[in-house]
Amino acid sequence: MRKSPGSGSSGGTRPAVFASLGALAVLGIWAAAAHFVDSEIVLPSPLRVARSAAVLFPTAKFLLALQATFLRGLASFGISMAAGIAVGLACGLSSPLAYAMAPALTITRATPVLAVILLALIWFPSGTVPIFAAVLMAFPVVVGDVRQGVRSADPKLLEMSRLFQLRRRDRLRSIYAPAMAPHLASAAHGALGLCWKVVVAGEVLSQPARALGTGMNRARIELETAEVFAWTLAGILLCALTDLAFKLIRRRRGGDVRPS
Amino acid sequence: MATYGLREISKSYGGLRVLDDFSLDFPAGKVTAVLGPSGCGKTTLLHILSGLLSADAGERAGFEGARFSCVFQEPRLVPSFSALRNVELVLRAELPREARRERALRFLSAVGLREARALKPAQLSGGMRQRTALARAFAYPADLLLMDEPFQSVDLRTRIGLMDAFLELQAEDPRTVVFVTHEVREALYLGDTVVVLSDKPARILERREVGLPRERRRYGSPDLSEAEAALYRLILGEPATPPGTAGTTRTAGAGGG
Repeated sequence: MRKSPGSGSSGGTRPAVFASLGALAVLGIWAAAAHFVDSEIVLPSPLRVARSAAVLFPTAKFLLALQATFLRGLASFGISMAAGIAVGLACGLSSPLAYAMAPALTITRATPVLAVILLALIWFPSGTVPIFAAVLMAFPVVVGDVRQGVRSADPKLLEMSRLFQLRRRDRLRSIYAPAMAPHLASAAHGALGLCWKVVVAGEVLSQPARALGTGMNRARIELETAEVFAWTLAGILLCALTDLAFKLIRRRRGGDVRPS
Repeated sequence: MATYGLREISKSYGGLRVLDDFSLDFPAGKVTAVLGPSGCGKTTLLHILSGLLSADAGERAGFEGARFSCVFQEPRLVPSFSALRNVELVLRAELPREARRERALRFLSAVGLREARALKPAQLSGGMRQRTALARAFAYPADLLLMDEPFQSVDLRTRIGLMDAFLELQAEDPRTVVFVTHEVREALYLGDTVVVLSDKPARILERREVGLPRERRRYGSPDLSEAEAALYRLILGEPATPPGTAGTTRTAGAGGG
């Protein structure tokens, strides 16, 4: 079979090569900019950041912060998925409920994340703020995707299920669940990325005792810009690794994930 | 077995009248073939029979607590389920696990799909998918079996195979069947009674008992030509044939609605 132009090799060698070239280009531009700026406080070089990360990453302070942020991210992801699936399913099955929920979801979606964090700071203890903010940001995304999945269920299969008087749970398992699956995967993927970003942002402002965001902000106050980059690098790695794990799970289960 | 009937049913979509003062009985354990042109309201009739659609006026008689199964124009199988699971699905509320597996297998075997039971719809041919739908319809303990032009999407050989499979199942486990079609030959082959409908709003042009034994009604049988010609004339609005045409017995006059 002829390959279409630009389809790349099936072995995955060329995508890896191009990705490496892209990463090298970013590092090159960064190094050049750092050399041009010539100030470690404004923009440290990649090498300086790598040294700072090598010092920071093995410390107990960092590992405890990483663990706490990871747990917060996981908790906010779990809560937004569970609540989003329940509400999305209910909205998909009931149009009046979907209409009733629409204003709340639109407002939540349109509210700036910083406003949510600032309000949460008034209402909750510092450790809970990032979780609350992340849930509030990710929840509408999950609801929207799940609702769309429910709505995409084949009407002919639904008619068949009514005629054969299938029980509600059998209808859910056999017709709605398969229709929801690709939308759910997309929702999980989107919510996961969003949770990490909002959790770290929430930590920067709420300053819990152990958190990546707290470490990042403390390094900023001490003008340790290389360390700010190192904390940020940890956040990026956390997000990338969970994203990779998610993709691997999806691939093993035979599904595909839309390119992000 | 109870006899089911529709009494003076009317149904309109917007301003378009599809059924007008329509009455018809469906004898228990028999196949009533409803023959009519495309778009005359046959599917609406099935939907009203099953209760999926409400009539604007009229009454459904004898349907209290009745259960329905259906073979649709398309197989309507759950794509992610195997053939066996698709049949089992409609039995979940009816039987415990072992019993429903046994029943599903029995009906899949009856339509020649025992070996293909683990295959998913995408792995089955069109004819096999429709056989699965047929097995599902008979496996479900329904009082009425509704068939909505279920043989339209397959070639002639597969169609005859499917109809034979239906007749075998019907002989083994007789159901009250309402079979709508626009194919005269299908109606004559499967129906114990053939009801010919007019174009919208559907009225009963004629109701005929098919007297010929089934082996003389097979596709290509010369015994059918006269009965077939009579029905074609009715559908095309040509002069009526005399009562008692070979193979069929007229039991209701035109305009019986």
